[in-house]
Amino acid sequence: MDKVGIVGYNQVKLYSDANYGRYEMIFEAVRGALDNAGLKKKDITTVISATNDYYDGRTISNCFTVEVGGGYLADESKVEMDGAHAMLYGLMRILSGNHKLAVVWGGSMPSCYPYHSARLYETDPTWERPNAYVNDVTASGFQMRAYMDKYDIGAEYIANIAVKNRKNAAKNPLALEEAQNSNITVDEVLNSDAYSDPVTELMVAQPCDGVAAVLLAPERQALKITDKPVWISGVGWNQDTYYIGERDLSTCTSMELAAKQAYDMANINDAKNDIDVAELHEAYAHEEMIFTECLGLAEKGEARKLNTSIGGDLPINPSGGAMGGKPPCATGLIRVIEAVKQIRGEAGDYQVDGVNRAVATGQIGMCAQNNIVWVLEGGGE
Amino acid sequence: MGRQVAITSAGFSEHASKRSDVSMPELVNEAIEDCLTKVPSVELDDIDAFVNGNMPAFEGSNLPELWMTDWMGARNKPLMRITTGGTTGGSVAIGGYYTVTAELPGIDTVLAVAFEQQSQGDTSVGLASVAYGEISILNSLGISYGQLNRLLSGGAAIGVAAYQATNYMSKSKITEEDLARVVVQNRRNAAKTWWAHLKMPDLTIEDVLDTPYIQYPLRYGMVCPASDGAVAMLFTTEEKAKDMCDIPVYVNGVASVANETAVLGYDGSGSAQVDPSAQIGAMKSAELAYSQAGISFPRKEIDYAEVYAPFPNQELMWDEKLGLFEETTAPEMYETGVTARDGELPVNCSGGVNSTNAIGASAMERPAVAALQIMGKASNQVPKTVHTSIGSGWGGSLNFITLMVMSDEPKRKWK
Amino acid sequence: MSKQTQRKSMKYEKKEYKKTRTMEANWYLSSYNYKFNITHMQPFLKKMKQKKLIGNKCSGCNRVFYPPRLVCGECLVKPDRWVDIRETARVATYVIAYLKNEEGEVEERPLVLVQHDGCDTTSIAELAPGVDVKDTYIGLPVRAHWKDEPEGGLEDIEYYDLMEDDAEDLQ
Repeated sequence: MDKVGIVGYNQVKLYSDANYGRYEMIFEAVRGALDNAGLKKKDITTVISATNDYYDGRTISNCFTVEVGGGYLADESKVEMDGAHAMLYGLMRILSGNHKLAVVWGGSMPSCYPYHSARLYETDPTWERPNAYVNDVTASGFQMRAYMDKYDIGAEYIANIAVKNRKNAAKNPLALEEAQNSNITVDEVLNSDAYSDPVTELMVAQPCDGVAAVLLAPERQALKITDKPVWISGVGWNQDTYYIGERDLSTCTSMELAAKQAYDMANINDAKNDIDVAELHEAYAHEEMIFTECLGLAEKGEARKLNTSIGGDLPINPSGGAMGGKPPCATGLIRVIEAVKQIRGEAGDYQVDGVNRAVATGQIGMCAQNNIVWVLEGGGE
Repeated sequence: MGRQVAITSAGFSEHASKRSDVSMPELVNEAIEDCLTKVPSVELDDIDAFVNGNMPAFEGSNLPELWMTDWMGARNKPLMRITTGGTTGGSVAIGGYYTVTAELPGIDTVLAVAFEQQSQGDTSVGLASVAYGEISILNSLGISYGQLNRLLSGGAAIGVAAYQATNYMSKSKITEEDLARVVVQNRRNAAKTWWAHLKMPDLTIEDVLDTPYIQYPLRYGMVCPASDGAVAMLFTTEEKAKDMCDIPVYVNGVASVANETAVLGYDGSGSAQVDPSAQIGAMKSAELAYSQAGISFPRKEIDYAEVYAPFPNQELMWDEKLGLFEETTAPEMYETGVTARDGELPVNCSGGVNSTNAIGASAMERPAVAALQIMGKASNQVPKTVHTSIGSGWGGSLNFITLMVMSDEPKRKWK
Repeated sequence: MSKQTQRKSMKYEKKEYKKTRTMEANWYLSSYNYKFNITHMQPFLKKMKQKKLIGNKCSGCNRVFYPPRLVCGECLVKPDRWVDIRETARVATYVIAYLKNEEGEVEERPLVLVQHDGCDTTSIAELAPGVDVKDTYIGLPVRAHWKDEPEGGLEDIEYYDLMEDDAEDLQ
């Protein structure tokens, strides 16, 4: 694979109820990314957006975002998945040689719509939707229970992840204010309201308003644009079957396959030692543990033994992860941005020392049905 | 950088206004089966990745590919979903092209699927909600819903396209008869296409002109139907394509340029597309795709065109904007038979979108038919040999244009 | 039934399909609360109250937007200047709609987009109630007809009056 670099990024501050409109938010993210890289509108040759018709309440949700997203008279398309998937399409477009600068942006505003109703429309309309027995809320409970039972893990370990991520989010100025809990304890997490037993409210990544954007460029152009390009060394994406009864929920097959594909591409044989930091899109606290194992960062059932805090063996989600705010369609892209920040040493208070290789993931669907894994590398050492 | 991509097969489901006999996954499966039976050496397991898309609002299912995974054979395979409104199909096909050309390790053969079962939902509600946000905003700024409804009446697509028709007709000074002629050619062609929807072998210009106006200048008989249907295309590398079929079709140029919206701008602002039939986006798309394919004289070098046109005025207009004919001369070409099946430059021998419109799939049926015409496997095959063909799509509020240029020899110019 | 509303179906080769089981379901759109920016609209709405039209202008490409626009897509910057727009406009494009009125009769009404003199965008508009359908054409000059007491909203221009076309005389 030819070298492709991430040359710029930007993310707006996440709010649970943002006091400004959708178009201004998109403009702020895209314009900010261009300014971050010192580029102008005419340099953009292709724009890939990640939005969802149901989340935006508009058929063809990218129809009116052409101008604010920088897509005016550019080669434009939309990936209706996570922002991290949109970046995949951006990568493909750069690799084709047709384009020299790709803008990838994604995001939505859940304060404008009932999030769980929109998610309910993702279920099978002939069986699951009318029964309303399996949906995104209950599925999280199935998944956590399956994981806890399989490896005999208490809920306090999972609450621990939520505590770690919420404390990390407190150091991240762009994270959602409600999720920045610097003094939270395990008991508080366990005793918060039930979401879908055994999942409690504080174990859930809260949907919020936000947009993020990254810029991709081929090697030659990337070196001209910035001194600190971050190179894409591997990517893998995969879709599992839908029916959660058919899947082993204690693990995540699609994540395993995606990780294998990405690691093969990046020549990673020993993920535990080769990777310095991981930014995972965990919709719930237990998913972080499942993903950690599927990514080969811990043995099966052993994720709880890993020290994943900022100064730990292998820091996971130093930015707070999706727990620090989960704007639908942007979360995966924000994970990529956070990984880029770590590699470039721009993460501020939550900077991990000596990061040269990072993974970032994105997901959609119930119990993370479709996953994407990115392996990113810095230029130095 | 980037490698040559080939199309080895394309398959369709039967199209009708109500495919009441199948569910949506079954419909998709029909198209995939038809696609894969044409290439006997390819099994479902040989497919490395999937690209799919539809317009989710029409069926009331968000991300339907999640629960349709197994019906597409995509279990534990890489899958990407691309949706861009009316151009969804074209964007999915272009996505299939990019997935192969990116040269990612282990990703060689890609199945692109686009589908729509409009009879499941309410299309007019889905289309009206394109501008629902903008309409709400204008309403809050003081314009009554009554006035807005009048302005955008007839459903978003017709409402917007009718403005375009007025401009085109005033510019090229054509009559309704010229529009009807296009419809007649399309629907008669559809009668010879096994999967088409509105098959009218005996349609005459008078029949079309006898129908009432739906919104001046468009008559009821000129407007596309709402269909159920699916389409699948198989993309692979140059080397593998040679083993799969006799005549692989090479994708030499793709483009999907976006312009700003016509009629209504975002946030209730005005639109800078003062003349909706000027279509600089389409011209830019054509320029981009042709330059990739090394085509300098589209009129001479292109042998066959599939143009996405739900309304006859659009077919005439896109023909010109995509560089096939001189500005305002397209109606003449239909009159003199240049665009007929046995003409010099046949257009829409499948009947086009005017006869069959399963919205999410339509824009992919265009490159699919254009590819089959090169292979010699199309159901209304043109008598002459086709070397180079194009398939286009439009969508959004007259602002998205997709274009794919295909040829029987790889002659992509690497930059 | 009048000919205009009559839905005459055209014959085509139809195939009968068996019926599979169907289920009823709904998609509610009404629960969305769209947010949008009003700040860039405020000066414009204030001027409307004084029966004056302004549009915002992008310094990059010198295009003037009416009604004002948040971001200029061509330059990807916010338009930063305000300029006056004239009350006169020309019909940029139109269609004729056949809609039932309150009495149930089908009315032919032209629906138009106008471009004000001095700006680069079209805006949605309504022609004066008495205008005959046949009088509409592209390039038809019109003039904004203000409400007696404007309130600072887009509805302050009630409709557009027809003006005499000087260009016609030249022909």
